[in-house]
Amino acid sequence: MQFSTAENAPTFPTVWRHKKVVKTSAPREQQFSNMATRNVHPIVRVNGIHKYFKRGSEKVDVLNDLTVSVPEGEFLGLMGPSGSGKTTLLNLIAGLDRPSSGEVWVGDNLISQMSESQLSAWRTRSIGFIFQFYHLLPVLSAYENVELPLLLLPLSKSQRREQVTTALDLVGLKDRMWHRPGQLSGGQQQRVGIARAIVTDPQLIVADEPTGDLDAKSAGEILNLLEEVRKILNKTIIMVTHDPRAAERADRVLHLDKGRLIEDIVKATTGSV
Amino acid sequence: MKFLGLIVKNIGRNAIRSILTALGTMMLVFVVTLVWAILAFLNVALSEKNANFKAIITERWQIPSQMPYTYASTLCEGAATKPDDVRPMDSMTWQFYGGSIEKDRAKRGMNNVLFAFSLEPIKLLTMMDDLDNLPSATAAVFGKSVKALQDNRQGIILGRTRMETLKKKIGDTFTIYSMNYKDIDLEVTLVGEFPEGRYNNSAAINRDYLLAAMDAYQQKNGKPHAMANKSLNLVWLKVPDSATLGKITAQIESSPLFSNPQVKCETASSGIAAFIEPYRDLIWGMRYLLAPAILVTLSLVISNSISISVRERRSELAVLKVLGFRPNQILTLVLGEAILIGALSGLISSCLTYGIVNFPPPYGFGGIKFPIAFFAAFSIPLAALWWGPALGAGTALVGSFVPAWGARSVKVSEVFSRVG
Ligand SMILES: Nc1ncnc2c1ncn2[C@@H]1O[C@H](COP(=O)(O)OP(=O)(O)OP(=O)(O)O)[C@@H](O)[C@H]1O
Ligand SMILES: [Mg+2]
Repeated sequence: MQFSTAENAPTFPTVWRHKKVVKTSAPREQQFSNMATRNVHPIVRVNGIHKYFKRGSEKVDVLNDLTVSVPEGEFLGLMGPSGSGKTTLLNLIAGLDRPSSGEVWVGDNLISQMSESQLSAWRTRSIGFIFQFYHLLPVLSAYENVELPLLLLPLSKSQRREQVTTALDLVGLKDRMWHRPGQLSGGQQQRVGIARAIVTDPQLIVADEPTGDLDAKSAGEILNLLEEVRKILNKTIIMVTHDPRAAERADRVLHLDKGRLIEDIVKATTGSV
Repeated sequence: MKFLGLIVKNIGRNAIRSILTALGTMMLVFVVTLVWAILAFLNVALSEKNANFKAIITERWQIPSQMPYTYASTLCEGAATKPDDVRPMDSMTWQFYGGSIEKDRAKRGMNNVLFAFSLEPIKLLTMMDDLDNLPSATAAVFGKSVKALQDNRQGIILGRTRMETLKKKIGDTFTIYSMNYKDIDLEVTLVGEFPEGRYNNSAAINRDYLLAAMDAYQQKNGKPHAMANKSLNLVWLKVPDSATLGKITAQIESSPLFSNPQVKCETASSGIAAFIEPYRDLIWGMRYLLAPAILVTLSLVISNSISISVRERRSELAVLKVLGFRPNQILTLVLGEAILIGALSGLISSCLTYGIVNFPPPYGFGGIKFPIAFFAAFSIPLAALWWGPALGAGTALVGSFVPAWGARSVKVSEVFSRVG
C-alpha cells in the first residue's frame, strides 16, 4: 500500500468539522502518537440492549441484554453463526435501527433516542458503511459513488472534489475514478465502497462481512486497507466476519451466539481492555 | 439541485423502459391535446360576445340557405317598418359565387377554382370577423384595396394563398367561369389582397357586378336567371346587445315579407350550438369520459413503470438511506424521475402536435378541418405548449406517488439483514 507512515498520509480537508455535533475528546495528533489513550474513551457504548422482531404475532428475540464498549481507534471483529444477530447489532450501533430497550451511545450521542431524521443526518457525518456486496450505484462512476454522501453536506463542488479525490487516492483508485462499478473487479468495487465510507471523515466505520464476496487475495488487500484506514486516519472500525483470517486482523473479537456475547478475545499485542 | 444528475442518470439506467414510458406519455398527451383543443375551440365558439355581436339571417328550413335577393334591403333594416322598430347598427349581405379561371370543365381543380363572397365592398371593413380590428398599418393597406373594389365594380380581392395558387398578381384581368351561376361568367381585375391570416384562401367581389350580370342575362335571354330568386345566401346584422337582437328577431320572424321561404335569425354561437346539437353526447363523452380516461391511463402507465423501477432498486434506495438520505429526499428522487420524464415527453408531444396541426403544408396540416358553421379549420392554441408539459408532469406526479411513497418507507434494516 502506498501510505506506510503517518507523515505522508492524506488528511481530509474536513471543512465542515467545526459544525459537527460530536466532539473528539483529544487532539488528533495526540491520538496518533499515543494510541494507548484510546482505551480510556469508549466511542461506542451499548448498554443492556434487547432487540426483538415481530414475525406475525410471534416475538423473535434477536439480542438479549447485550453490553459492549468499543474504545476509540479500536479494530473490533464480530463473529458468530448465521442468525446470531451480528448484523442486527451492527445496525443498532450504526443507527439504522433502534433497540427494543437499552441504550446505544456513540461519542456523546444517545442514538437509541434519536428520531429517524436526526439519525439520517447523524449517519452522514458520523458513520461510514462498508457492505458485503459493495452496494455501489451501478449508474454512477466510482467518483460519483464516493461523492454521494457529500451531496448531503453543505459543501461546494470544489470542496467535494477535494474530498473525493483524497479518498480515492487513499484506496489506490484515483486512476479508475470514472469507471462504473460494472467495469471494476470485486476487490476494486469494495475499495470504492471503503472510499465512500471514509469520505465524510466519520468517527466510526462499520463493515458487514466486507470480504465475504471476495477471493483470498482481494480479501487480504481489503483487510490491509482497513488496517491502514484505522492506523492512518485513526478510525474506529467494527467488522462482522465469518472469516477467521479476517478476524485475526482485529484488535479484539467478540463472539455472538443466539443474541448473547459468549467470548471476548483480546489479543495480547494490543493491550487489555 | 445537486440531485438532478442522479435523477437523470437513473432515467438513463433502463433506457428502453424510459423511452417506452415517454412514448406512451407522448401519445396520450397528443390525444388529450387534440381533445382539449376541440373543446376549447367549442367553448370559444359557443360563448357569446356580450356586446356588438353579429346575428346571421338564413333560410329557415334549408341548408344551404338560398333566399330571394329582394329580401336583402328589408332584412338589412332588421325588418323595421314602423318608426319605433329597432334597427341593427350595421349589416352585410353575402352571395356565394364559385367559379374557375379554367374554361375547360375537365381541367378544373383545386389550383384554378375560387369561391368569392359577393358583397358591398365597404362592409369588408366593418362587418367581417378579424378585418374590423386590424392593426392600423395593415388596415390602411387593406382600406386601399377595399376602395379599389368599390371604385371598380369588376374588381376582385384575393387572399395571398389563393393569389399564389391562381398565379395572379395585382392588375391582372381574367375571367371566372361560374360553377354555381350557370352562364354568368365574370371578367374581373385583381385590385387588392386580403391581409395575411384567416382570409388567405378567400376572395371577394363587388355585389353590384354580380347583380348587373344577372340583369344582363335576363335582358339577353328574356327570362330571369335560374338563381335570380335564390341568390341571397346570408345576411349579417350587427346588434348592440341581446335585448336588441331579441326585438329584431321578433320583427323579422313576425314579418309577412319573409314567408316564402321563411327565414331565421340567430347568433353565430346559437347557430353553432344548433349545428353541434346532434353531437352533444359525443362532445359530452369527450369532455367527461374520454379526457379523464386518458389521464387515468397516463397515470397508470407512469405508475407501472416507476413501480418496476422502484422494486428493482429497493436495495439501492436503502443504500441511499444508509448514507443519510432522508425519506423525503428519496421521495424527491423518485418523483423527480417521473416528473422529468412526464414533463419532457409532454413538452415534446405538445410541440409536435402544435407544429404538425398548425403549420401549413407541406410541414403540417394547416389546421384541422372541422365543418362546423363557418369555421373552416381550427388549430391548436398556443396554450397547448404548456398544457402538454403540465399534463405530463401532473399525471406523472399522481402516478408515481404511490411507488415513490413505497420507496420513501424502505426499511434499511430489513433490506440488509436479508441481503447480508
Ligand atoms: N427485519 C427483520 N425482521 C424479522 N426478523 C429479522 C429481521 N432482521 C433480522 N431478523 C432475524 O434476526 C436474526 C438475526 O439476524 P442477523 O441478520 O442479525 O443475523 P447475522 O448474525 O447477521 O447472520 P448472518 O451471518 O447470516 O448475516 C435472524 O433470525 C433473522 O431472521
Ligand atoms: Mg449478517
